[in-house]
Amino acid sequence: MSKSPDLKSHRENEDRLRELIRRQESKRGLLIAFEGADGSGKTTQRKLFKKWLQTSNHEVKSFRWASSPLVKPLIKARKGAHSLSPQEYCLLYAADFRHQLEIKILPALWAGKMVIADGYLFTGLARDGARGTNLNWALNAYSPLFWPDVAVYFAVSAETSRQRVASEKVPKYYDAGMDVTNIDDPYESYRQFMTRLNQEYQALASIFQMTTIDGELSIYEQHRTIRQLFREAGKRPWADWNIDAMVEWLGRQLQTPEAQLGIE
Amino acid sequence: MASNSAASKGRLVALEGAAGPELVPSGKRLLDQLLRGRDEGGVSSFDASGIFFELRKGDKEIPQPSPRTLVLLYAADLMFRLRWEIRPALEEGMLVVAAPYVDTGIAFGKAAGLPKRWLVELFSFAPRAEQVYRLKEKREISGWKFKRSQGYLEFCCKTLIASSPAWHPEELRERLLGYLDALERRGGCQTATEKILGR
Repeated sequence: MSKSPDLKSHRENEDRLRELIRRQESKRGLLIAFEGADGSGKTTQRKLFKKWLQTSNHEVKSFRWASSPLVKPLIKARKGAHSLSPQEYCLLYAADFRHQLEIKILPALWAGKMVIADGYLFTGLARDGARGTNLNWALNAYSPLFWPDVAVYFAVSAETSRQRVASEKVPKYYDAGMDVTNIDDPYESYRQFMTRLNQEYQALASIFQMTTIDGELSIYEQHRTIRQLFREAGKRPWADWNIDAMVEWLGRQLQTPEAQLGIE
Repeated sequence: MASNSAASKGRLVALEGAAGPELVPSGKRLLDQLLRGRDEGGVSSFDASGIFFELRKGDKEIPQPSPRTLVLLYAADLMFRLRWEIRPALEEGMLVVAAPYVDTGIAFGKAAGLPKRWLVELFSFAPRAEQVYRLKEKREISGWKFKRSQGYLEFCCKTLIASSPAWHPEELRERLLGYLDALERRGGCQTATEKILGR
């Protein structure tokens, strides 16, 4: 059976994109994801690690979870009104993630920059899981997945997380999981929600082979471990699902002159 | 996520289509015809959550969202409509015409090149409509003029052409209608003729 012209040109186009990606592999940057509950120390480590990479002459971009300039205002307004259901929460965060992946992360990696994500895909999945959302459905919402080269999970107990967060502020409604715990005290709700969240993170860390770092060790000890992990990580070929995500992104850059994308 | 059952005394009817400005008036006509003076009902329309309204009012300098992001946002809006409009009405035994509903979201996603499997799984949270209609729409439209505020397809087309001249609104519309044609051929929907809508 002969292929229709549309299908044939689509396949040819996709093959061309995959070839461009293969050629870019050696020049691409690395994606390093720091995961963990609030108060686990990932932001401190992100800042330290960024400085260290910069002193090693790497060009570095940081990415913070839930900070798409397009979607963040939508989420903020709805969180303020306490109007999000767990599934709406998942969909809006998935939209935020996708937008950031496409406008910040993939272009930076393509341009050969190091990207440090302070909360990445697993932050969304862990929170969705802790809210009782079906993991397979949530994974689909976040697809095509784009896997980090290094994924670090900072493990702290629910109590440590609660103490660290409570020393600075009253946990907010959704951060404390008050939408699902039915507990009116934000501190107690937070502690219970963190217990669920930690279970989700531990499961994800095991399933997706993240490196777990004890977030209760000294800041310097954690930082030293991260440096070591980075040195050992090396650059491996992108997994198939990363290439799928890249093909989708690159396909939309087709009108951009190839030189602007750094393609020779 | 398994498809949630409507599990209620009410009836859910979908009206799908490309033309945003036609969906609500046609939905109201369809509702009147189906009610025929009995019972109560209502039309649930696009952007009840205000997500797309807020995006229209937002900063124009922000890089535009991709088709996948636009579909995720449509799903979030639909989730809102189900929670606040559709399910409560169904639970009270009302008739709800959802205009548009799931198939318009899937049709746009397919038209923009997204995988059908992803789309179907994404919308699996929505209960199946008892009956699915589609608007009767003109196929040939030259120089299609539209505004972002008119509906989902219009919003998406304006958004995509702002991000890249490679997108052609007429082509996206034609592909969306092509998806609905194929759905109709498979018996997944039927055209809302003048007779069905009431003269």
